Amino acid sequence: MKKTINIPLGSQHIALLEPVRFSFTCENETIVGVEADVGYVHRGVELACTTTFKFKQVGYVVARVCGLCAIIHSTCYTLAAEELMGQEVPRRASYLRLIANELDRIHSHMLCLAHTAENAGFEALFMRTMKDRELVMEAQEAMTGNRVQFDYVSIGGVNRDITTDIEALIRQRLGLLKEKVGEIKELFENNWSLSLKYKGVGIITAENAYRNSALGPLARASGIDFDVRNESAYLPYGELGFASVTMSEGDIHARNMVRLLEVFESIRLIESALDGLPEGEIAAKVRGTPEGESYMRVEAPRGECFYYLKASKGQYLDRVRIKTPTFGSVPAMIEALKGANYADAPAIIASFDPCLSCTAR
Amino acid sequence: MIAEFLRRFRKKSPWVLHYNAGSCNGCDIEILACLAPKYDLERLGIRNTGNPKQSDIFLVTGPVTQRSRERLVELYTQIPEPKVVVACGSCTCTGGVFRGMYGSEDGIDRYIPVDVYIGGCAPHPEQIIDGLVQALEILEKKSKNVEQPKKLMGEISERDGGIDKTNMAGKL
Repeated sequence: MKKTINIPLGSQHIALLEPVRFSFTCENETIVGVEADVGYVHRGVELACTTTFKFKQVGYVVARVCGLCAIIHSTCYTLAAEELMGQEVPRRASYLRLIANELDRIHSHMLCLAHTAENAGFEALFMRTMKDRELVMEAQEAMTGNRVQFDYVSIGGVNRDITTDIEALIRQRLGLLKEKVGEIKELFENNWSLSLKYKGVGIITAENAYRNSALGPLARASGIDFDVRNESAYLPYGELGFASVTMSEGDIHARNMVRLLEVFESIRLIESALDGLPEGEIAAKVRGTPEGESYMRVEAPRGECFYYLKASKGQYLDRVRIKTPTFGSVPAMIEALKGANYADAPAIIASFDPCLSCTAR
Repeated sequence: MIAEFLRRFRKKSPWVLHYNAGSCNGCDIEILACLAPKYDLERLGIRNTGNPKQSDIFLVTGPVTQRSRERLVELYTQIPEPKVVVACGSCTCTGGVFRGMYGSEDGIDRYIPVDVYIGGCAPHPEQIIDGLVQALEILEKKSKNVEQPKKLMGEISERDGGIDKTNMAGKL
């Protein structure tokens, strides 16, 4: 008699926000083999960016690659395009971009934490985290005009300035958020039933993470200190004194803690960016067309987001290549699922915070 | 009498099946935000369920991608009558920014009949609630006649002893 049993999960499943299909080979309760199919959301954005849309529009199109990290995609594209054009950006615009980026990171991390709590069976914590997440959504709406798809960054600067009212609102919401996240952190740290679901589950060792090229909070939870914000000065992180967060356990609990601590770090970054917000223009005049090749790396909530552009002085680009963090993390995800209990699979998948619309584009 | 009994309950607690047919996640996280305490869809009795056989409202996001259209049609056919389809987001209604891309199919109304369209990229949670309230009214009116999905069925053929689903969505 066959000893193993195949269990499919997805493409439509209550625990998944997005269509992804896993095929688990289970022996009793233990997962021994995993196959992942991530291509359900492939729309063909990369080709359309070079044929249908002009280079000034592409920044808004690539934002639709992913709704969770929309601003990060458009920032990454815009920075790469500005490098090709030799475009100057006012310092105020850089700071405003940083604030928008970090607000986005906070809301993405909070969503992931809520989702992990839900998949561990803690519905009340899900509701609570989502309620506190509304604070940062309000701040985003006040600053950019929309809740998820902002279209805030444009070539040469940003599209909206912030007034003193909006600044006060952001500060007030973030102050509230800091307290609330502190309470949530205590729950994640000390709740006994959560610790049963999280501690020692879905472990990726540092060596495994390194070999499978894990990125972002995934790698930082396993003890690999890799953060693009540390490595390249694409936005003024160095001036604000950015410090990355690492843990060493590599389980779901460590990933949650990395995300929680990063929320605090992001709040601190936004507050100090607001303190030292330079005066001046928010956008410079755009001259010329892009020519040559460039690449740009930006730290998305899930890890390193990579853009490669090629252009030859036309309105249309020759090539846009997008490499997103989840795509790099899929092998690590498969590695972590092997040997885990089948019942833990939704929580492990949620703790990776997979973004399939990024992955498949 | 049982039908009348069920109809009363259906109005009070319609369950939603959410399917992402290739959207950018923007609408999906707004739907999650709707379920959360600030907007709280549960006060209308609406719950998110993962099982098509238990749901009344089919909430779809995203332009249909080539990979997901068979699943979309299959999920639609699995939901028991009467059912209401809500298209959430600009790209679900018309294809939006993804219109004409090789992987996307310009909106779900090419495959399944849509009752409520919610525009916006991404729609505000209040818009989503508004759309779902409209959907509730439509659900109440709908008779028990089984709707024939338009442009839906290709030929259902058999393969390996089961139904072959590859051509289920039909050719346009």
